[in-house]
Amino acid sequence: MKYKGIWTIAEAEDGRIKEVSYELLTRGKRLSKKLGCELTSILLSNNISEEQAEELILRGADKVYLANAPELEHFIVENYSNVLIELIKKYKPAIILSAATTSGRALMPHVAIRMHAGLTADCTELDIEEDSNDLLQTRPAIGGNILATIKTPEHRPQMATVRPRSTRPAQVDYSRQGKGEIINYQYNQQLFDGRVERIAFRNDAEEDNIQDAEIVVAGGKGLKKKENFDLLNELAGRLNGVIGASREAIDRDWLSYPHQIGLSGKTVTPKLYIAAGISGAIQHLAGMKTAETIIAINQDPEAAIFKVADFGIVGDLFEIIPEINELLEKEGVK
Amino acid sequence: MKYNPVTGKILDQLIEILGEKNVLTDPAKLETYSHDETPIEQYGHLPEVVITPSSAEEISTVMKLANLELIPVTPRGAGSGLSGGAIPEYGGIVLSVEKMNQVLEVDYNNLMMTLEPGVVTNSVNEEIKEKGLFFAGYPMSVESCYIGGNIAENAGGGKAVKYGVTGRYIMGLEIVTPTGEIVQLGGKRVKDVTGYDLKQLIVGSEGTLGIITKAIVKLLPLPTEKVDLLVLFKDIKSAIEMVPTIMTRGGIIPTGIEFMDKLSIKKSCEYLNEHLPYQEAGAVLLIEVDGHKVQEVEDDAETIGELCLEKGAIEVYVADNRTTQERVWNVRRNIAEAFKVFSPHQSLEDIVVPIAAIPELMPEITCISKKYNIQIPCYGHAGDGNLHATLVKNPDTDMQEWYQTEEKALYELYQAALKLGGTLSGEHGIGSKRRKFMKELIDPVELGLMKKIKKSFDPNNILNPGKIFKLE
Amino acid sequence: MNIIIPIKQVPETGNVKMDEETGTMVRSGVESIVNPLDLYAIELGIELKEKYGGRITTITMGPPSAQKALREALAMGCDEGVLLSGKEFAGSDTWATSYALAEAIKKLGKYDLILAGERATDGDTGQVGPGIASFLDIPLLTYISKINHIKEDSLTVERLVEEGYEVLKAPLPALLTVVKEISFPRLPTLRGKQKAKKAELIKLSAEDIELEQGKLGLQGSPTRVVKISHPRVTRNGEYLKVIDEDSLQKAVMRFKDFLKEKEII
Repeated sequence: MKYKGIWTIAEAEDGRIKEVSYELLTRGKRLSKKLGCELTSILLSNNISEEQAEELILRGADKVYLANAPELEHFIVENYSNVLIELIKKYKPAIILSAATTSGRALMPHVAIRMHAGLTADCTELDIEEDSNDLLQTRPAIGGNILATIKTPEHRPQMATVRPRSTRPAQVDYSRQGKGEIINYQYNQQLFDGRVERIAFRNDAEEDNIQDAEIVVAGGKGLKKKENFDLLNELAGRLNGVIGASREAIDRDWLSYPHQIGLSGKTVTPKLYIAAGISGAIQHLAGMKTAETIIAINQDPEAAIFKVADFGIVGDLFEIIPEINELLEKEGVK
Repeated sequence: MKYNPVTGKILDQLIEILGEKNVLTDPAKLETYSHDETPIEQYGHLPEVVITPSSAEEISTVMKLANLELIPVTPRGAGSGLSGGAIPEYGGIVLSVEKMNQVLEVDYNNLMMTLEPGVVTNSVNEEIKEKGLFFAGYPMSVESCYIGGNIAENAGGGKAVKYGVTGRYIMGLEIVTPTGEIVQLGGKRVKDVTGYDLKQLIVGSEGTLGIITKAIVKLLPLPTEKVDLLVLFKDIKSAIEMVPTIMTRGGIIPTGIEFMDKLSIKKSCEYLNEHLPYQEAGAVLLIEVDGHKVQEVEDDAETIGELCLEKGAIEVYVADNRTTQERVWNVRRNIAEAFKVFSPHQSLEDIVVPIAAIPELMPEITCISKKYNIQIPCYGHAGDGNLHATLVKNPDTDMQEWYQTEEKALYELYQAALKLGGTLSGEHGIGSKRRKFMKELIDPVELGLMKKIKKSFDPNNILNPGKIFKLE
Repeated sequence: MNIIIPIKQVPETGNVKMDEETGTMVRSGVESIVNPLDLYAIELGIELKEKYGGRITTITMGPPSAQKALREALAMGCDEGVLLSGKEFAGSDTWATSYALAEAIKKLGKYDLILAGERATDGDTGQVGPGIASFLDIPLLTYISKINHIKEDSLTVERLVEEGYEVLKAPLPALLTVVKEISFPRLPTLRGKQKAKKAELIKLSAEDIELEQGKLGLQGSPTRVVKISHPRVTRNGEYLKVIDEDSLQKAVMRFKDFLKEKEII
């Protein structure tokens, strides 16, 4: 049997489908149109109803394989991997896309190894090569300084993780109602490995997920001390954004590691990124330069951050940001 | 001293000499030229006009005009000075060399380079790196300072143990004298005893004897290998005793030996969130060796490290790649920043004493610290006895009181240095900041000779007046 | 507790400068270092050894010069270094790399834990750690930020995910990829360096561990790089300089208007 069709790995948490699942559909739709093939979403979870899964159809999937099981309620790589591998062996997709999230980046390599499949991490662009119909996967490498385009000529499936927020989520199209097929997958109970157990979850209320945020206000060494992040907190609050930081600020323990943006932290692609007191070391730029709009505030006119900024203010952030906060308050922004 | 103001007529003449865009009078722009790295509220002063000439001839014409009209002229490099040397204390003209920023020649046969004064020091090294050469006049501000200012201040820095200070690499200078003549001093001659060595008189003259318009500098083979040792000692005495031991018993001249006292290392590590076991240390040395052969440099580092352990060092850390080197140097580089978080007002000093006197100096500093109830972290270039004892204002002291305390404490600090055979400044210069201490602390005969030299170069006292000393 | 730490030697990109005109990296003077994110795994391994005893073996696949990375790990406190080297490994992608490392680890004997950095700063894939676990069929725990408990045959860890921290329990042996929060890497000491310098490394070739030729290097790698391009990152932004009260007010007003133009407020 020939490998054909495109799969996206949908993600769900607490009985709700996550937004990244729809971003993958945007990617999948474009590719399936080019190839003239079927687009399928795989949804491994627990307590997801068919109505909920229907949303994947409305947003572009032709087919959904839905597997509900207590063992799949939370991401346990071995369980997910075993189920996915069985599905792959049975239905032989040509392309599998997953989000480059903590689960996607664990699951996909685990599966790719066992399928001897090619896997490309954290892609920002996907396309189909004309003659061969191979998947062209483009990803930033060496701290975002180069873009490498990678393909898998001989092996199938072709697998890729896709950078979250690197594209818009597919929108609901009600004319698609009833046009897709939801298949409740009858898995074999033996696929559940049972070695790893999730025993608790600690949700740090203050820790916002910077990768999901539309607006990120980030601070660096120029903030000078922990307490000064209050300024950014206020600004982020007014803009309904979250705060992030450069490595230097994290190293100094001004903010916790989940806030770190850059090569050794997270990559963000928000609608707006405000960098305050960040010089723009190459490693930091790697984590944020794909943001839609970038604003930089820095004392040093030569700072590299200004090169990637759409709008920049050269000056003392301790003068500028309080003024901004004050003006926004006057304007009635929160 | 009575100088004349820069009138509209004089502005017109300056525009005629330099062109309109090289004569700045916009108050916002003038502000940038009113200070260096010393506190602006204490030492800053606005110029009346800033000019940006591009040749020695233009400067010569300006100096002749300034002599005629009795207008003070203050030459300025990048403004990274730490003693107020580039601040126009009497207003008048600030002469910025920012547009004279060309590398005029790289002479690979003589291993020399001819530079204009506005070249950023480190950009020279970028240029010649590929040929395996480097310029060793290397202050801590190497990334920003201009070569002209570097020479005028005879800057030092962290590599002086092995490479000496900037003056050692100055072979020739072209200057415009205060009265407007253009003169060449020295040249590409390794030996030269034809009369007084006037170029070395210009080196470190803080822009009071002439305006440097060209410099011929000597280049050295670029060391390609480097190892840093971060060594924790139980006390200052055992740390300092290491310094001569490295050279005598080790037979090695390290590139630099940096010193940090307990207070400095603690604050810096806390600020950086650095988890080194610094709490146990009474003093820390950061020792760098460089060279051209990996094996040799590693062996030297090992020899030094062994000596340190033998002398009771608590621990010797080895940084032999850029990641770890950056980490250890970060501790040294962030001391001032760490204290700024505590209090933005500091007086960064650079007293210098014979190396062996450092352990004797430290209790004196502790005394001053206690007497005036201020923190005085002490760090710097132990390998040449040059210490950045830094007076840090208590955040709750008001400014007037601080200025008084600062002056008294500085006086005592300098006296302590002098008593041990040291002096006020090792690398930052006197400028306007330390001038008030010269009269009482420096031999009157020496000071008298300096003043006579100044007068013979600058009879009208218009070039950077008020720096180092005032002419009565 | 026997621990295995796979590491990678990477170019030090901290001071890399980009050539503005060509968009390429200025490579001159770029040295090779231990992948900075591997240091957290090394430190964790050493701390575990200090607490529970045992032995740490660090392993890398790379050219002979990669032994420098192994020696740095030994200087920090690892006990043994294994270098997997040979031209048949050239061109390996993450699949072929995982295969070779997993097979080599099998040859090394019994182990309780494999600790890996979350990813390498050059390739930035984060696939080799999970890949090794998949080959060895041992529990895989990624993005680990803390070890809560460790016993003879199991451990409890915290895993940093988008929404917070998961607490997971797994039997040993297991493979952990760790994030920065887990440790503060120590600096190598002189004594450590001296020991590392003298240490005999174990050098393995493909033949030594009986690897299948077809699964090695380029031949065993499913992926191919077909194009490298250099993105231009520079945006032609507008800049305002704040020097006094007036320019401050102007800049702040423009900031607000800019947000309005972008429909953020």
